[in-house]
Amino acid sequence: MIVEINNLSKSFGLRKAVDGLNLDIPDGSVYGFLGPNGSGKSTTIRMMTALITPDEGEVYIQENSVLKMRNKALASVGALIERADFHKHLSGETNLKMLARMDGTDISRVQTVLDRTGLGSRGKDKVKTYSQGMKQRLGIAQALLSHPKLLILDEPTNGLDPQGMKEVRDLVRELSYEGITIFISSHLLDEVQKICSHVAMISFGKLITSGKMEDLLKESDLLMTEVQVDLLENAAELLSAQNWVHRCDAVDGVLRVGVDKDKTAEMVQLLVQNGVQVSAVIPRTSLEDLYLSKFGSESKI
Amino acid sequence: MLSLIYNELLVITGRWRSYIGFIGISILMPLILWGFTYGSQGIQDQYTRQMGGSFLVVGTIFNSFLATYIIMQALWFHIPFLVSLAAGDSVAADGSNGIFRITLIRPVSRLKILTSKLLASYIYTTTLLLFCAFWSLGIGSLVLGTGDLIVIDKGILILDQSQAWVRMALAFSLAILVMCMVATLCFMFSSMVNNGVGPIIGSMFLIILGYLIISIPLDFFDKIEPYIFVTYFDVWLDAFKEPIPWMGIVKKLSILMAYSGVFFGVAVFIFLKKDIKS
Repeated sequence: MIVEINNLSKSFGLRKAVDGLNLDIPDGSVYGFLGPNGSGKSTTIRMMTALITPDEGEVYIQENSVLKMRNKALASVGALIERADFHKHLSGETNLKMLARMDGTDISRVQTVLDRTGLGSRGKDKVKTYSQGMKQRLGIAQALLSHPKLLILDEPTNGLDPQGMKEVRDLVRELSYEGITIFISSHLLDEVQKICSHVAMISFGKLITSGKMEDLLKESDLLMTEVQVDLLENAAELLSAQNWVHRCDAVDGVLRVGVDKDKTAEMVQLLVQNGVQVSAVIPRTSLEDLYLSKFGSESKI
Repeated sequence: MLSLIYNELLVITGRWRSYIGFIGISILMPLILWGFTYGSQGIQDQYTRQMGGSFLVVGTIFNSFLATYIIMQALWFHIPFLVSLAAGDSVAADGSNGIFRITLIRPVSRLKILTSKLLASYIYTTTLLLFCAFWSLGIGSLVLGTGDLIVIDKGILILDQSQAWVRMALAFSLAILVMCMVATLCFMFSSMVNNGVGPIIGSMFLIILGYLIISIPLDFFDKIEPYIFVTYFDVWLDAFKEPIPWMGIVKKLSILMAYSGVFFGVAVFIFLKKDIKS
């Protein structure tokens, strides 16, 4: 595990922001961190990055306590926490050079991360002339500056247009292929589902669920597929007999089938071979369903 | 540490607020020098009267040294305000602008970051006072010329030109140390809040309060006067005493440095424990 969070708690006045949180983040994973507004996501991330001191518990990064061996623990961490703020009266490049000097990172790395985040040609412009999306990219650039092994991104697509979001998503994927562990908090469930291998959900500072994305969706019966057929009962009977079908219910004139993604084609073939006409196959599996099942439809992430 | 100080200096020099002091001095000094050039007869008469007719003054006693001495006394209350403009912003602005979210997550101790900010504030303070010296002594010498320095305090002290240079250097050095203490006070307030104005107001309030206490002749105020740091702000005037009261200077500086130590200690205590929520 690259990160171990043990019994982490933090209160602000009478309000308990994080309450006995335990979480393990596997090395090399892309870990989604979800929860409604005020659930304790940001406080947790700030405790992981030594911005906030926990009342109880510890965060270990590469087995180094953030509390007791702060510098060693943070040496392998890059983070973008909420919106990216910089010295507006200085250029993006100067801001990054200042941070590189703090880290002891080679100054030549600045241009590399600027290029990588698409700011190569705007590096010499003052940050106050940047759009929100550009600032956010600069935020990602500073997080990448010191060759992090763990990248913590808190709402990294905030303020980005769809193209920018895709670029960030692609960048996150690229970085994960390079072996960087990514811990990402986002309110865009679709984004998280697209890029994350693992997910954790918290509410009122407590962990609700965590684990591999696929396992969580499976366990929650959420690898559900809606199948529209002409012979509903026959089809239900046929599919229920298959050991690779987790669940099969006839609801409101359609079949709701719990099936692994790679078995969908086999399922359709089986139905057709047995004289059942299939008019539609609608994947219903989504992280949003899982999320709503945990927090309700009114929850805001 | 040097690279951190360099970073802080980049931030200070990039803020327009940092130049208010320099602009102010650049506007004020030529006016004062112009005033001294064309309207110094009143001051010369006053000095001659104070000398009680014991001396025969040939020519003018007015030169860049006397002008600097008068300017330092006149601006002594205003310079702390200019100093606090930079020191007040040094920690608080980073908090309010969200800069700590990218700097305090790096593998550099908070103590180092805070110390580098304080040292950068000291460099700014020193530069500001040297700029003041450049105008009053440097440009002043060109405009008003040099000569003997006549200081009237509890007696009359006449310093020849070479001595005057030495005494001025000592006076400015002491003034720099006093203003660094003011910067530390402002710095302490800066570590407590998240806006740059609060520390300036807090520091100036304490300085004004101190001046009021030492200037109002009440028994109770007299008793607490030794414990008020403002009491020792006039240490630079000791540079114009004969002989120079070195023991007194050391004592006053020690007290001011002790205050600075306490102020910085408080700032460290607060900053190390501070939760960055903004």
